[in-house]
Amino acid sequence: MSNASREAQLSAAFVKLADTLTADFDVVDLLHTLVEECATILDTEAGGIMLLDPSGDLHLVASTSEEASLVEIMQLSAGAGPCVDAFSSGRTVTVGDIEASGSRWPAFRDEALKHGFKSVHSTPMRLRGRVIGAMNLFSTRVGELNPADVIVAQALADVASIGVLHERNMREKEIVSEQLQYALDTRILVEQAKGVLFESTPMTMDASFGSLRTYARDHLMTLRTVASGVVDRSISVDELIGAGLAK
Amino acid sequence: MPARIGQFAGRPVDGSAFDMLVPFLTALPITGAFISVSDASGSQSSLCSSDPVAARLDELQFELREGPQWEATRTGAIVLIDDVVESSHERWPVFGMALRELDVAALFAIPLVLGAVTVGAVGLYRSIPGSLTDRELSTATAAASAIASVAVRHALASAGEHGAPESSAAPAMRREIHQATGMIVVQLQTTATIAHSRLLAHAFGSARSVHEVAHDVVSRRLNFETLPE
Repeated sequence: MSNASREAQLSAAFVKLADTLTADFDVVDLLHTLVEECATILDTEAGGIMLLDPSGDLHLVASTSEEASLVEIMQLSAGAGPCVDAFSSGRTVTVGDIEASGSRWPAFRDEALKHGFKSVHSTPMRLRGRVIGAMNLFSTRVGELNPADVIVAQALADVASIGVLHERNMREKEIVSEQLQYALDTRILVEQAKGVLFESTPMTMDASFGSLRTYARDHLMTLRTVASGVVDRSISVDELIGAGLAK
Repeated sequence: MPARIGQFAGRPVDGSAFDMLVPFLTALPITGAFISVSDASGSQSSLCSSDPVAARLDELQFELREGPQWEATRTGAIVLIDDVVESSHERWPVFGMALRELDVAALFAIPLVLGAVTVGAVGLYRSIPGSLTDRELSTATAAASAIASVAVRHALASAGEHGAPESSAAPAMRREIHQATGMIVVQLQTTATIAHSRLLAHAFGSARSVHEVAHDVVSRRLNFETLPE
């Protein structure tokens, strides 16, 4: 595949995923789209995405085919195979020749070969420093993925991870409530900080808010952190106003 | 005028102070709960409790002036006693002794926080020992944050505040309470918690609503620095 068409395919895949993430969506649907795109772009015959459940087991949540044999291979890979290795190490695991993998994962090896798969590539799905699952791609040909393909696979797996977080936020109502509540409380803190600035400077309330935002941006801090610092006086008004005037 | 309650995850409804306990009782593996808030003098007052044991936990700490409820209110930090029997109770020795008489195996205090202000605490107890998970603590913290301003309104209502209830106030007016708090922080060179408490005390003492007093502060008609003690 030429670089130009690879790039076009990849950007089309990202656009598709970005569109999905902004609307109401189903995570399984998203992951299906993703693994299909990934298998096509990387010229592999089959793929699947495994996610960690709360009890610590990996489950196949999306695959290029719902065929029982593929599901079985995926589960074997997640039990004692490249998938669980990628998951537990947090690193890409490439097996260019499954037949030559010897006694490392015998059950997985036999089942994969029986269905004609010669090579496999497992990419960890990472989110905020945690590994939440892994994406597997199978090919009927022997050979390692080249370094460029490895990067593409990781990029797509990372997008999938973001999609999962998005879905979890949608599903776990209490987390939405917490995030909402956190935002509301941040707003209170900002009002308190505005009061401190309003009392200490000739600024209007509006200008006080502007200076909090400017300081936050200039110092790569969250608005909440800055507001909190102003109220507990760990960020002095002089320091904050100086930043505001410097703009 | 009935007090208004903002439910944990939903729309505002009319209700009693007890409604504030519902999110804790339904979402957490606890036996009972109670809420106390700091009044204007920095002392605590009880708002509600779910059962006689919860009421006794609240009352004991109020009488003894020590315990996790006081500590959470004073520091703004969560206090966790996962096992009442195993705990040393160093910071509340008398209350620790009194606890032995009650069917309480674990006790937690979650501060009620409004931005930088701590207005009180929610006490949660279990009749079997055991900690709350991080997830449960996040839920408890969010629920406490959700009811903090409602708890203040209940406290004011029970102390006899007159004037417009919060619910009828425009959002801008509600913000003025927090802005006024920030201004009083500067005027009195104090903490946000004390500034807020002084604001409430002044409103109560002058028989006006907190909104009116906050509005006077924000429009610079009232300055706590020049206020007679």
